[in-house]
Amino acid sequence: MSGFNADKLQKIDRRWLYVILIVSVAITLLVGKGTEIPVYPDDSSKDLYITLMNVPEDKPVFIQSDWTNSTRGESRGQMMALLRVLMSNNRKFVIYSMGDPQAPQVARDAIRMVNEERRKEGLDDFKSWEDYIELGNFPNAENSLNALGNNIRSAWGNRRRPDTTGVDRSVFESPVLANVQKVSDCGAYVVVTASSTIDFAVERISDKVNLNAMVTGVVGPTVLPYKRAGQVKGLAIGLKGVYDMEYMMKYGLNHQLEGGVIKVDYPQKPEVSLPPVPNGQTFGQGATNYLSLHIALGLMILAIILGNVGMFVGRKGGKK
Amino acid sequence: MITNLLSLGWDVNPTDPNKWFIILGVMLAGGVGAFLLSKAPTSSRRSIIVAFTFVSGLFWVLKYLWPEPIAFREGDVPRNGIEGFGKYLTDGVPFVSTLAQTLTAFLLGLGIFSLLRVHLTKISRKQKDWQFSVILLISLVTVCFFGYWDWILFNFRMKDVLVSDDPSTWTWVNQVQDILFDGLLQNMDAAMFSLIAFFIFSAAYRAFRIRSVESSLLMVSALIVMLSLMGALTFVWNSAVLQASGGNPVHFLSNFRLDTIAGWVQSNVQVPALRALEFGVGLGALAMGLRLWLGLERGGVSQ
Amino acid sequence: MQYLDTGWFGIFVTVTIVVFVLFNIARAGKSKGEIFIRRIPGLNALDDAIGRATEMGRPVLMVPGIGSLDAVSVQAVTIFANVTKQAAQFGTPIRLCCADAAVYTLAQEVIRDVYQSQGMIERMDQNSVQFVSDRQFAFAAGVQGIILREQVAATFLLGAFYAESLIFAESANSIGAIQIAGSTQNTQTPFFIAACDYVLIGDEFYAASAYITRQPVLVGSLVGQDWGKMLIISFVVLGTILNSYEFKQPKTTQRVDTTAEVRGGNENVSSIEPYDGDPRTKTPDDTFVYRMFNPIVSPEMLTIEREKEQVEESVEPTEEEVTE
Repeated sequence: MSGFNADKLQKIDRRWLYVILIVSVAITLLVGKGTEIPVYPDDSSKDLYITLMNVPEDKPVFIQSDWTNSTRGESRGQMMALLRVLMSNNRKFVIYSMGDPQAPQVARDAIRMVNEERRKEGLDDFKSWEDYIELGNFPNAENSLNALGNNIRSAWGNRRRPDTTGVDRSVFESPVLANVQKVSDCGAYVVVTASSTIDFAVERISDKVNLNAMVTGVVGPTVLPYKRAGQVKGLAIGLKGVYDMEYMMKYGLNHQLEGGVIKVDYPQKPEVSLPPVPNGQTFGQGATNYLSLHIALGLMILAIILGNVGMFVGRKGGKK
Repeated sequence: MITNLLSLGWDVNPTDPNKWFIILGVMLAGGVGAFLLSKAPTSSRRSIIVAFTFVSGLFWVLKYLWPEPIAFREGDVPRNGIEGFGKYLTDGVPFVSTLAQTLTAFLLGLGIFSLLRVHLTKISRKQKDWQFSVILLISLVTVCFFGYWDWILFNFRMKDVLVSDDPSTWTWVNQVQDILFDGLLQNMDAAMFSLIAFFIFSAAYRAFRIRSVESSLLMVSALIVMLSLMGALTFVWNSAVLQASGGNPVHFLSNFRLDTIAGWVQSNVQVPALRALEFGVGLGALAMGLRLWLGLERGGVSQ
Repeated sequence: MQYLDTGWFGIFVTVTIVVFVLFNIARAGKSKGEIFIRRIPGLNALDDAIGRATEMGRPVLMVPGIGSLDAVSVQAVTIFANVTKQAAQFGTPIRLCCADAAVYTLAQEVIRDVYQSQGMIERMDQNSVQFVSDRQFAFAAGVQGIILREQVAATFLLGAFYAESLIFAESANSIGAIQIAGSTQNTQTPFFIAACDYVLIGDEFYAASAYITRQPVLVGSLVGQDWGKMLIISFVVLGTILNSYEFKQPKTTQRVDTTAEVRGGNENVSSIEPYDGDPRTKTPDDTFVYRMFNPIVSPEMLTIEREKEQVEESVEPTEEEVTE
């Protein structure tokens, strides 16, 4: 009898698994919106926060946005967290894609959404040309990064964007890029990607810029060796990385909150003390989705345990 | 002679009145070249391809190895031939990159030809599920049509207002394009991607069985990493550890914080293994690239 | 490239490995005896997979990943040429789906050559090599459709795969196809292991054509790669010993990386300054190994006097002419 049941545990129809997964995740997404979960941010996320909060005022941040809508669950959250940090600290940025022709559009959407958030909070919009420049897509990441590292003025020289009066001008005439002569003149370089374009960035420009990455959970492990080797300075991985960032944006890093509490500490770097972001929204997509990640992982662990229990009981039954 | 050649540079000045002659000349030369290639005897084709590959690859090899002039400023004159050639190679990067991209763009035409052939055959022979092929072809034509029209409206001032990112300036064409791109394509992409969640779920359920020592180790490390991704659980676990260690953060027990164990597994087991794999893959790619460049790769088919 | 950016050491190692590979290719061409290559189970299963497809009368599916035309996809197509050769002999139908137009063009040529060299060009279906889409998930949907509709008996997923790997592998698994997979993207290897019968891990993928064909050039190149690995392993061991020793030493100097204005532009420069902080041991950037890849560049090294180009005086119209 037990053997029969155990066999069932080992061979649950995959469609049932799918139904359970979709129902539980959907319910969590709807009900658990904005639940604050205490978290220990990864050291790599802390390093990213340190980079972003320390960008010099006169240097633009280069954002290579290579994600598309398919990974928006992770990548859009990362992108928006990144934009929120930069905008609330009033840092200019350049944004472009080297991974996918769809990428510029989703990046523009993300900028628009963060601008809307800011408007709701009574803050100023970030304006194209003055505060940021969107350069569009560069096909073939390897070639384009090579050209960028080689000579930024010739690599981007033919890109023109409308200025505040609507007249098309060379992007190097904009306040964002005016002081940039070579790629190392950027304040930080952040690759937001769901693919191997981060590998090319490491190969081609990691020796020239302060390279940081925000990658999906699947790509994360391959970037860890670069992080350990110091080629990538800060790294946010997957949804946990998004939530880490949002959590630090709210509570700072090694920062004493009211009542002397330090919510996020970094014992390895006691000299660092960073406050929360000065203004704007902190919690966003990371907080919205983090609870459902718990549910999905919990279900997966449960399914694995069930399968193994089934196998063991079945084996015992077989021996009898 | 070489200095003369180098001084020609990679770009044609856009204001040069001779540019049309140059363009025409290059097109003519290309046409003649293509004709000659088509007449080349089959036996010599291989050597032609090898020669082409070698020359194309040589640019990047030299670019990698040849010293680049340091602290070189706009308008500087190279001090010697080595610097001059280094500058020449550096200047050539945008040109060569564009050339490669242009070639790739042309190949897309071949791809579309393949797509059309497969699906038109299917439709004309009324093979199984030919209706899907009709839908595919209609989608292809519709997206191309609206995509280009939208692009034209965005880039050329057709009417009084220039179409911009602001939806109030859009015409109906831009609206349709928006529905096709943002409304359909993007979400279908996302739907396909989200399928992976289900597949990971069922694959993990099926494959994660403790059958041997190795698989037990794999399972334990996977469980630790998965649990550490769950912030709430990590928080509860770590609080328990902190309590057990009497609130002392440097107590021996604090090594058993969940994020510490997961971090240890990642940086001391996963990262070195991945690094070793990457070394192997890198060496493989280097050897493969070398064989391709030097024409040593003969299709690899056993005779 | 600027040797001042990265030092000469990395380039030296690369060139050494190139020499290793070329030397061994030359050597393998002369040697008579066969060189031993360890067993790779995934490649031994190749015949079984094709045999099964032949028995069932269903197609063999091959996908060279979604990468552009590079060493990875060329290698994948090379392995597929061998698969096709066997399939052609048995008259087993094949499906080769490409996501990149350049790879498609190459694959089509190679597969036609294979049928031609086997004298079986009439067995080749014009549509057996097809371009599906260069959009990642459109491609995934298209190939998944082919897997399920045509009920393929065997799949070969070899090349640069990303998120679509599991979509293919699980779909084919659900219809009981025998699967041999390998990706140079290490992120995808775990997915393949969970869902496929045989997986080529890491550089086994590059060893495949040497393993199958035993061509001297390929085997020699494989030996060269192994020498390269030995070199890297020895550097890892030496570096570990050297760093372990240095990390125990007291810090007496510190490295300062900064930018300096040199001849009207900013350049990254670095210097070694005496360290007078609290006593401590050396930090990673004090080590010899770090300096091998991050050389010290002083502003003096960058001060090179060059002549300025003679800018030709362009004939500007005088103001008078303009107003006219």
